[in-house]
Parts: sequence; C-alpha cells; structure tokens
Amino acid sequence: MKYISTLFLLAFFCVALNIPEVSFAQGRVVSSPTPTLEATASATVIEKVEPTEAPRPDLTQKTKESVEPLKRLLDEQELGSTYINPVKYAIRAAVDAGVPPNTIVLLLLLPGVATLIAAARHLVGLRGFGIFLPAALAVTFIATGPVVGIGLFLLIVIVSTFSRIVLRRTKIKLQYLPRMAIILLFVVMGILALLFTAPLINSMALVNVSIFPVLILVLLAEDFSKVQLGKSASVAINLTTETLILSLISYVFLTLKMVQELALLRPELWLISIFAIDITLGKYSGLRVMEYIRFRKLISK
Amino acid sequence: MKTSELLGLNARAKLFSYPFNKPLGKKAAKSKIFTKKLLRKAGVSVPEIYAKFKSPLDVMSFDWENLPDAFALKPSKGLGGEGIVVVKKRTRDPVGPSEKLKTAWITIQKKRVTIDDLKLHVLDILEGAYSMGNVPDVAYIEEYVGRHKAFRRYAYRGTPDVRVIVFNKVPVMAMLRLPTKESGGRSNLHQGAIGVGVDMATGITTRAFWRGEYIHFKPGTKRKLHGIKIPQWTSILETAVMGGLATDLGYYGADVVLHPEKGPMILELNYQPGLSIQLANAAGLRKRLERVEDLQVRDASHGVKIAKALFISNFSDRVKAEEGVKILSALEEVKIKGRNGQRVKVIAKLDTGAWRTSISRDIAEKMGLLEIDNILWSKKFKSALGEEARPVVNLVLWLSGRKIVTPASVAKRMSLKYPLIIGRKNLKGFLVDPDIREREKELKK
Repeated sequence: MKYISTLFLLAFFCVALNIPEVSFAQGRVVSSPTPTLEATASATVIEKVEPTEAPRPDLTQKTKESVEPLKRLLDEQELGSTYINPVKYAIRAAVDAGVPPNTIVLLLLLPGVATLIAAARHLVGLRGFGIFLPAALAVTFIATGPVVGIGLFLLIVIVSTFSRIVLRRTKIKLQYLPRMAIILLFVVMGILALLFTAPLINSMALVNVSIFPVLILVLLAEDFSKVQLGKSASVAINLTTETLILSLISYVFLTLKMVQELALLRPELWLISIFAIDITLGKYSGLRVMEYIRFRKLISK
Repeated sequence: MKTSELLGLNARAKLFSYPFNKPLGKKAAKSKIFTKKLLRKAGVSVPEIYAKFKSPLDVMSFDWENLPDAFALKPSKGLGGEGIVVVKKRTRDPVGPSEKLKTAWITIQKKRVTIDDLKLHVLDILEGAYSMGNVPDVAYIEEYVGRHKAFRRYAYRGTPDVRVIVFNKVPVMAMLRLPTKESGGRSNLHQGAIGVGVDMATGITTRAFWRGEYIHFKPGTKRKLHGIKIPQWTSILETAVMGGLATDLGYYGADVVLHPEKGPMILELNYQPGLSIQLANAAGLRKRLERVEDLQVRDASHGVKIAKALFISNFSDRVKAEEGVKILSALEEVKIKGRNGQRVKVIAKLDTGAWRTSISRDIAEKMGLLEIDNILWSKKFKSALGEEARPVVNLVLWLSGRKIVTPASVAKRMSLKYPLIIGRKNLKGFLVDPDIREREKELKK
C-alpha cells in the first residue's frame, strides 16, 4: 500500500511541478482523496513554501536551465526512418506540442533507476526499503540537491527517533497508529522549525525546498520508525543506510549527462536494453556479493 | 568448498522456495494459527492454544486473571521471533502507592509484565506492528514449552529448538538453536542465538557458530557445544517432514521444539528458511538439495532414512585418524546386518576404483534388504546388457571392527566372485593393500 502511495506521489511530483502555476498543483494535492497522514502534513507545510518561484537548475522543474540543453540536443539529432524510430518521432512531436523534455527524460530514466536498484539487490545484496522508495528519494535529491536532501532526511530521522524515545521514557502507552501520528507531528514541527530558520541562515537551497521532496522524506521516516518499532534500531539503521546509498547512486545515475542523452536520443535502444537487463537479472540464481562475504569462511575452506 | 554448493537468496527463491511451495502451503506458513490448525488435523503435535485475539473487543472481554503461570503470547504473522512475550512465573506483589495486589508475570527476560502491558501488546500485534508489511494481525496465547533436560546446561533461559530444512520429504540439514543472554532467550540467530550444526545420521552436534565466528564452548563457560546428543532425533526429523506433508510445502524449514513430556512439536514452518544454517553446519545447502531433488520418497520415515544415509557426518573419520590409519587387504571378511537382525559373514572386495558400495542381488534378497521400506531409491545404470534399474538399499556392515552405515546399490553380480564390493566412499581412514593372491588362499581355508 505504501508503495502505491509513493508511486502516486512520484507521479504528482513529476507532473505537477512542471506546471507553472504552483498553486494549481497544490490545490490538486490537497483536495486529492488520499486519506493518508502525509496529506494532512502537507497541508501545513504548503503555506510556508508558497513563495518558491526562484529558478533552480533542477531536472524536475521546467526551467530554462533544465529544458534548453535537452531541446538543443533533440534539435541537433537527425531522425531516421519512422519504422525503426517510432519513439523518437513521438518524443519530437510531444516536445513540439509543449511537453517539457525534462519530464520525458525523467520518465525514461525511471525504469533505468529501478533496474539499477534491482541489480544492487540481486547482484550485490543491498536491500533498502523496496524499489520505489530509493527511486523516489533519488528524484527528491534532484529536486533539493543531495546535501539538503540528506540533511532534511537526517533531521527527520533524528526527530522521529527522539520522539519515539520520549514516548517510551514518559511511559505514555499509546496504540500503534496514534503513536505513529504523534511521531509524524513531531517530524513536521521539526521541518517547520528548519524552514523558519532558513531566512536567518540565508540559505537559498532551503528556501527553495518544495513540498513533494519533504513528503517523500517523511514517508521514508515513517518506514524507518516502523522498522524501528517492530524490529530493532540496528535493522532500521542498516536498511536506511542502504536506502540512502542506493538513492545516492541512483541520483548520480540520473544526473549523468551521458545517460540522459542516451535515453533521450536513443529511446528505443534504451527501453529494450533495460527490458533485457531486467529479464537477465530475474533469471540470475548465483550468489550475491554480500553472500560471498557472509560465507567467506566456507568458501575459503 | 565450491561456491556452487552454497545456497544464496537468489537461488533459494528462484529454484526452491517458489517452484516447490504451493499457494496453500505458503498461506499456511505465513500464519502460525493456520499452520497449527492444519498440523493438528494431520495428527502432528503442536503446542496447545489457550486464547486467540482477533479484535480489540476480544482483548477487553478476555478473562486475563485466569491465565496459567506460564504461557507464550505471539503474533500469528510475526517475523523472526519479533513480538513474542514468554512468561514463566506469576507474581502478585503490591504495586504503586495504593499497595493494591496486581496480577503480573515474570518473562524469561526477567521483566515484570502486568495485564495492562499484555493488553497493550496484543493491541500492537492486532495493528500489525510485528507482521510483514504491517498488515493487521491476530494474536494468540499458547502453552509454554519448557526446556528438555538434555539442553538445560546449554541454553540461556529460553527454550532451544531444532531448525530442520526439508526438501522433497527428505530432511537435508538441521541446526540446534540455543538462546543466549544476547538473544534475550529467543532462538533466532540474527538476534544473537547460537547455531549448532547437527549430524543428520546421529543427531550429535558437530560445531557451533555464533556472531560470525565458530566457537567451541557456550559463551562464558567451559561447556562444549559439540558432541551433544539430541534426544529422540529420528522422531524430530519425522515430525519435521510430517509438518510439510500436512501443509503441502515442498521446501521449508520446520522449527521443532522438544517438549519434556510430549516429545517433538512443531512451533512454526517457514517457506523461506534462513541460510545461516550452512555456516552452522559448514556445509552447502544447494548441493544437498540437488542430491534429493529427483528421489521418489514414499513417506516421512523413508525420507528420514534417506537423509541418515546421505548426510552422515564424517566426524567418525576424525576419530579414525587419531587411532591411526589401518591397513586392510583388498579382500576382507565383513559382517552384514540383515533385516531381522541376523549377521552374516561374507568376503568383500575393497575396490578403490569404485565410488559407491554395491551388493549382489542374491545376498541382498536372502538378507531381506530388498524389502520396500529398506530401498532408498532406484538408479538407472547403463551396462553392456542395456539399461537396468538398480535399487539402492540401506546397508549396515562391520569392516575390521568398524560399523559402516551406507547406501549400497544392488547389482546382479552372478559372474563375480565376491557378493560385496566396498567403494571408496566407505574406505576413508583405511589403506588398501592390493595383493590378493595370498589372501585368497588364506580365506579359502
């Protein structure tokens, strides 16, 4: 369920942020029927973020910096026969009709990121919280920049852990969901506090943080506290670290100029090879890198 | 060891867990209550359930005061031993400023829990705090299974259990899991319990693995962890196999606990059993699984018989090495044990060019070794006479005073001089002198 909601958020994130009237996008999210805690949290934060209009070189937004180079790339490309290049023609037509090319690039790259995460799981053994959360986080990092993204994330994790300890120490015995709700309340208060300090430390990066990255970070924090409540702190920390590593790798992958160009200029080749890699990964039944380490005592014998 | 002998997560899922487990079995394994229901129906013994909680209303209406002194509160879909509260003793001490007597229990971690604590814990379970994917769950209270006296000196507080990996009705690997101080009395390896490898043939422990290292003694003591004889071993293995027959699972791990009076009981079944068992046994699971994959196994006792013949540990070799290597002639007189217990002397040829031991059909028939419950499996051989199916039987023999239990293939050795040929597999710890001319005369006398 939580992955489906992540996917929704991601879709909103990609589509809504590219519409110039930010208020329209917000209206859609607030009135959307998602009855999750995140939706309520977002409503509080939105008012603070409203003046975000300053342009950032950010692939998730339709700005001059992000669109122009991609457009130029497309214009320089010579199209071959329609029969072997149908996707290329479709992209060209869509861009001419006004679909921002950065959205197309991000959409094309997403299956690549998913494949990357799948490979990290099945070849290396990095687990993380599923496949969508690291992918969503990677896009978040593109929107906020990795430093602010990790900073925000650490803040959220610290606040949620702290509130958990407080709840335990004060011996308030609460049921599971209300307890989670309180943790989320503290998290939102922490982010608000950080945003309030943004003018004081004069950080443009912080001022420009929009609601969707924050929402995805809150979602990850919820996963973190769930694991922490249900299992142990060390498992939660491990999984979270692995998620962060995965999403940073995915972030680098998404921002690589070479990869972007490949996806945009050779979409057919890109999609088919991603498909082929996925099939190969799914068939692999050998040991993972982490398992070679785990069983090293047996292998060396 | 070759890496191809080891089972990793990819292979476990792709080659064994998914293809060999039916949806019903997986559904049963996911819910401990459902597992119990199926097992009880099939006559496999399980710890008794005292109470089930499906909704918060059940929690409020339940008569908590009348619970026994010892019990275990568990989530039905809990993972890796999380969310389990086990109490051993009831106390009624005055609590708080009002000095009111309050019913409470002491857990195996020596913590005090009141009825309110238990209620809250059940509510947490119902919300899905311990289930996979945090889906709403059911909580239940079951009978407390105490420690068997054989394990009393080795386990810390909790009850040890035996994890048996079963595939195609054959138990392929087993591990004794000993709770420690670090694991808080729980017997899950990743929580700090000790995994102790077990020889499949005898139920004697071989080596212990704890927190990434092989250890000889129980931490903090001088108690050896190898050489422990697990009581009722055959019965434990058969119970583990029967658990899978009842739930329609093909590849699974059964957690069998030894009740001090009632014998082996199944605590839970896991269709994706952990892989650390390979470390505890210093053996690769994948190779063992591949060896039993194609066998036609009739029932639980047949499966256990196959396991005992195939996965015998070679610690007896270590003993032999200490005794010194024995020199035998290529012709030796051995004793074979028949089905009705009689022992017959035959002349055997020790053949270092053969891998497996084989026995002639005549003598096998005479000794009753071809009875259906002694046949382990049949193997197809190509010979000059075309293809023939040879049964492989369980054979017990004494060679130069050493007892050897081994699978032996049955062959029509009409033209051969010797009714028994002992292969390399059973000649560990011996040297063979190839000169048989003198020996032949000697034996003929």
